Amino acid sequence: MHLPSWNVLIQVTIIGILTGGVYALMATGLTLIFGVMRVINIAHGAFLILSAYISYWMFTAYGLDPFLSVMVSVPILFVIGIIFQRYVLSRVKGDPGLGVLLTFAMALTLEGVMGSLWESTGRSIRTAYTSKVYALELSDLTVRLPWVRVGGLVAAAMALAAIFLFLRYTNLGRAIRATIQNRSAAQLMGVNVERVQAMTFGIGLASVAAGGALFSMIWTFNSGSHEEWISKMLSIIVLGGMGSLPGTFLAAIIMGVAESVAAVVMTSYLSPIVFYLILFITLIFRPQGLLGIKVREG
Amino acid sequence: MIEILRRWWKPFALLILLLYPWILRAPYYHVLGFNVMLFATMATSWNIMGGYTGYKSLGHSTFYGLGAYLVAIAANELGWNPLISAPFLALIVALVAVLLGWIMLRTSGSAFVIATIAMLLIFRLTALNLREITKGAPGLSQPLPPWTPEFSRMPFYYYMLAWLIIAIFVSWYIRRSRFGLGLVAIRDDEGKAEMVGVKTTLYKMLAFGISAYFVALGGGVWSYFTSHISPVFAFDIIVGVDMILMTMLGGLGTLWGPVLGAFILVPSADLILFSFESNTIYLAVIGLMMMAVILFLPKGILPTIEGWIQDRRAPRAAHQGALSMAEMHGLTDEPPSPAKEARHD
Repeated sequence: MHLPSWNVLIQVTIIGILTGGVYALMATGLTLIFGVMRVINIAHGAFLILSAYISYWMFTAYGLDPFLSVMVSVPILFVIGIIFQRYVLSRVKGDPGLGVLLTFAMALTLEGVMGSLWESTGRSIRTAYTSKVYALELSDLTVRLPWVRVGGLVAAAMALAAIFLFLRYTNLGRAIRATIQNRSAAQLMGVNVERVQAMTFGIGLASVAAGGALFSMIWTFNSGSHEEWISKMLSIIVLGGMGSLPGTFLAAIIMGVAESVAAVVMTSYLSPIVFYLILFITLIFRPQGLLGIKVREG
Repeated sequence: MIEILRRWWKPFALLILLLYPWILRAPYYHVLGFNVMLFATMATSWNIMGGYTGYKSLGHSTFYGLGAYLVAIAANELGWNPLISAPFLALIVALVAVLLGWIMLRTSGSAFVIATIAMLLIFRLTALNLREITKGAPGLSQPLPPWTPEFSRMPFYYYMLAWLIIAIFVSWYIRRSRFGLGLVAIRDDEGKAEMVGVKTTLYKMLAFGISAYFVALGGGVWSYFTSHISPVFAFDIIVGVDMILMTMLGGLGTLWGPVLGAFILVPSADLILFSFESNTIYLAVIGLMMMAVILFLPKGILPTIEGWIQDRRAPRAAHQGALSMAEMHGLTDEPPSPAKEARHD
């Protein structure tokens, strides 16, 4: 363990913030789904990898830019989400532990299918602009900003803004927020909770599909990577307070920074442990997270 | 017919299991038999926490890995015979589990499930990075067993068979004890259980420790059996998933369910691996099976069959309602309902 210079620290903090923006997009769907369904969707990581693969193949086979391949992956995952919630997950009633096991089983299935279709080689999209770096001059230090990361943050911010506007101003969005606050009261007010749940799952997966496209440009993945990523996303939404969108946003930025600082302070090999420790500690000592509700009994 | 079966199947099954390695003499069958015994023992153990108490841990591979590493390190550094040291070293792991349980069992439901995953990942990363002790990612090797190769797998088989019998006995004893009733009461309604005087925190910690014990033991024996362990395989989440799937297939919270599940799943898993020659297809298949069990057979095989038999005997009785949760979960031969019994505590 060694303390790096200020220059390096500022550099990694900014990278961490950029990364955190993408994390926020990836984790938003997870927190929405938990808020409405009270089920932790462990398959979220596998769906992330699935959409990253869609972007990868769109790029490799047709040369479609990953920023545009969301046009393909978002509708696909939206439909998968609705079907999965409507015909599979909604059949499990009662024990929330069983719902979690079911989504876990889904994650295993996806991992198996993806692993058999596309060998275990680590994939990543390398576009023409992948290695381009924008050098930002600040009085006496230069911050190097990779284009992909900046573009990722902008795209993530746009997608998140769309989700926020949707939740704020549409009827379905209001129904979703009402269901998050109080499910039975929402039902009494005439909200079709089953429909809201299916739509939420669809939107949740659509947002992870958008995240997956950005993900495929920044990180290397194979079918087994979902285990690591679901743990990261879980620690983000648990830290933020499950079901709380602003909390998720805040926690994603915190985690992005914590991880990239840990990578230079410790080793990049050990830095994921920051995520798991934060997850563990939050669950046990502050189960409501930063801005959310208690989930100990979730 | 059913009565004869009920009375005699246990000695009969034991006889078959004792003769099995001499009937099917190819080494493959000895390996298969050992795996069945190993997983039946571990699933029985998982069931004490996941079935009786209702806390479904996805991170039981933590204890498997800890057991494997403790036994391997003791064999390498101190020269301890793994088959003798495993039951004692597993006690240490059980103690660790009780302490971890003290922290983790402040959560429940899905929060508990993700806490157990986090626990597993923390231990795996630690094992990967503590290179002085665990030798990191390449892993640790152990000396081979001293007996001649043609017997190589048979002692392991009998050893694990003995431990399976012990594990079943422990599970049976817990189930009929006041402690077990307390656990079932926690599963049915933790708040009420606490109100009628069940020491829920203590009970859960003990159950967690006991359910870690046989898993750690299994891990220790497995590390000797394979003679080489690495963090990725020792702390593999799939080992824990297998235990869950076996238990749920056979019957969650029943005495024989986990054993039945292991006897069905281990051979079929082998069959799948053989016919596809692919590890990834195997993942897809167990994922689909797990979904199917949760959706279509949520009670598991044994309670479902028991339900049929009861339906045939007294078609109405089964539908009269007033079944306690414990009875629905296949504890039908336990007369007192847990809530009533726990009140005397």
